[in-house]
Amino acid sequence: MTETGAQLFARLDARRCLTDIEAHLFPEDCGPRHGEVVELHGLEGTGKTELLYHLLCRCVLPVEAGGMGVEVVFVDSDYSLDMLRLVTILENRLAAGLSTGRPEAGSSGVCPEEAALRSCLSRLLVVHCGSSSQLLLTLHYLDTSLSSRPGLSLLLIDSISAFYWLDRCGGGESVARQEDKLTKDYRITVFATSHAIRRNYKNVASSSSSSSSSSSSPYSEYEQPYLCRPWQRLVTHRLLCSRGMAGANMASATCADKHSKKQSFNVRCTSSSSSSRGTKAHKSSSFYVTDGGVVFV
Amino acid sequence: MVVLREGMCPGLDEDVVRDLLEDLVASDTEELAQKCSVSYKALLAIRRVLLAQHTAFPVSGLDLYEELVSSTAILSTSIPSLDKLLDSGLYTGEITELSGAPGTGKSQVCFATATHTAHRLKQSVIYIDTTGGLSATRLLQMLQVQTDETGEQTEALQRIRVFRVFDIFSLLDCLHGLRCGGLQQASLGGGSVKAVILDSVSAIISPTLGGKQNEGMSLMMQVAGTLKTIAKDFNVAVLVTNHMTRGPGGEPQAGLGLSWSHVPRTRLLLERSDGAGPLLGSKRTATLVKSSRRPCHIKAEFDFNRGSRPEEGLLGGVRVRDGSDP
Repeated sequence: MTETGAQLFARLDARRCLTDIEAHLFPEDCGPRHGEVVELHGLEGTGKTELLYHLLCRCVLPVEAGGMGVEVVFVDSDYSLDMLRLVTILENRLAAGLSTGRPEAGSSGVCPEEAALRSCLSRLLVVHCGSSSQLLLTLHYLDTSLSSRPGLSLLLIDSISAFYWLDRCGGGESVARQEDKLTKDYRITVFATSHAIRRNYKNVASSSSSSSSSSSSPYSEYEQPYLCRPWQRLVTHRLLCSRGMAGANMASATCADKHSKKQSFNVRCTSSSSSSRGTKAHKSSSFYVTDGGVVFV
Repeated sequence: MVVLREGMCPGLDEDVVRDLLEDLVASDTEELAQKCSVSYKALLAIRRVLLAQHTAFPVSGLDLYEELVSSTAILSTSIPSLDKLLDSGLYTGEITELSGAPGTGKSQVCFATATHTAHRLKQSVIYIDTTGGLSATRLLQMLQVQTDETGEQTEALQRIRVFRVFDIFSLLDCLHGLRCGGLQQASLGGGSVKAVILDSVSAIISPTLGGKQNEGMSLMMQVAGTLKTIAKDFNVAVLVTNHMTRGPGGEPQAGLGLSWSHVPRTRLLLERSDGAGPLLGSKRTATLVKSSRRPCHIKAEFDFNRGSRPEEGLLGGVRVRDGSDP
């Protein structure tokens, strides 16, 4: 198929760039550009899904409520999407964003908050996948929906590692290939979570002999990527999530002194995007979770 | 015209057909058209039909939310302090896990939930017993505390369907059976199935793990996947129990390793309270370890009254202490 330059431009330019999706997360000038892939990696309960909700809300919220008003596809291969939680966050954000804004929208019968919430939710497309082949075929299928809806600019996958144990031998390569195609063709930004499910035993053995070195880097034990090589090549940003400090004692210490009784989470971002010219940029940030979602400190 | 169908010849099983399908979809359509001299248009049409048949259907978030609001139910565990900890109970569509050392009351909570759902809410319960630990006498005892009428007790017991499975393959069989129509069948006898209780998941999975086997992990994730699908598709609450291990620092941890730890949405850690009575401490502490709704690490205390003293234990032999935050 051929297209003219004007058509190409029209196809690609409509998509909103998500570089400024969350300034707290990424290093300076290293936000995810068009067609880049961000991987969120961490143990259970380290706020990966919560971060996804945060990004999701930021995208679907209207501009006047501090969002970006773009459409999002959420591929849920883990059955982890909790709509009630998402709606709670959206409601909180909407209330905070709109209370300062216009006085009354005056839509017939429906209260404005409800209408705003509905319009937010209609910008979200959810796909449930039950097996890796279904995931692959669904990604192929997204081709068509992406080309017909220029507002779609973010693809969230929770989680890419869900079928790791089910098809270990060589699985996942074709998924990575298709994702590659999607990002190139449609300049969509992908956020995917992967669970830390393999312990790096070599590292554990060495850290037990020298405990001082291990405490300095709480991530190292689970940091090693285990998904296939094409996927690793694809990922331009890696966000490593962890909870509080290393141990439970540190967590309680942070609880006591700063924000009383709030569990804090840490995120470390490693970017190797084209803009940083080969060198890797790092940034660490931390956040805590409230009823209204993620709050960065 | 030959139809490519699984079972046509011995080598052509379901997996091979699926692989062929994946390859066909993933291949470059233009190249394929040249190779097998089929028109590009026809191939595109085939591809579209195949995709339409085999992909998951995208749902708008709005529809999902509306469906959820109309269908979500919260099942009480009949223990108020636990309910408070769980944000008013077990949510349908989710997997909740109870983990704890032996004798910390995991099964008792399961019994209490089952009887409460069957008797008070008049809904069916599926109880998958993998340890042989389900005691009908105890269920009856709990029911007797709630009602004196034998008719009601029988009715409630009839709503609890028990499956006994002792290895992972029969568990998978059982779950697949439930998924393909078993759940509707079970719900015919009054009240739909609202809870699936699996006591215990670790007893059945841990023998397959260990060493360098990947098959065990794969089986475990299959169980997890099926449980999740059942929870979502049929909108039931799934309650599983798990054993407890100690982490490297000696802190209590749920069993079955890292991969499983991502599976349940909510996890409670049950422990015996220290300083209990000399014979058997009946006080238990529950800690919320994982939750997407409430802050983690809040604790609640509850009390098992093992003896049958109906004049005190209004709640099926489970006496309640007020929950207290740490």
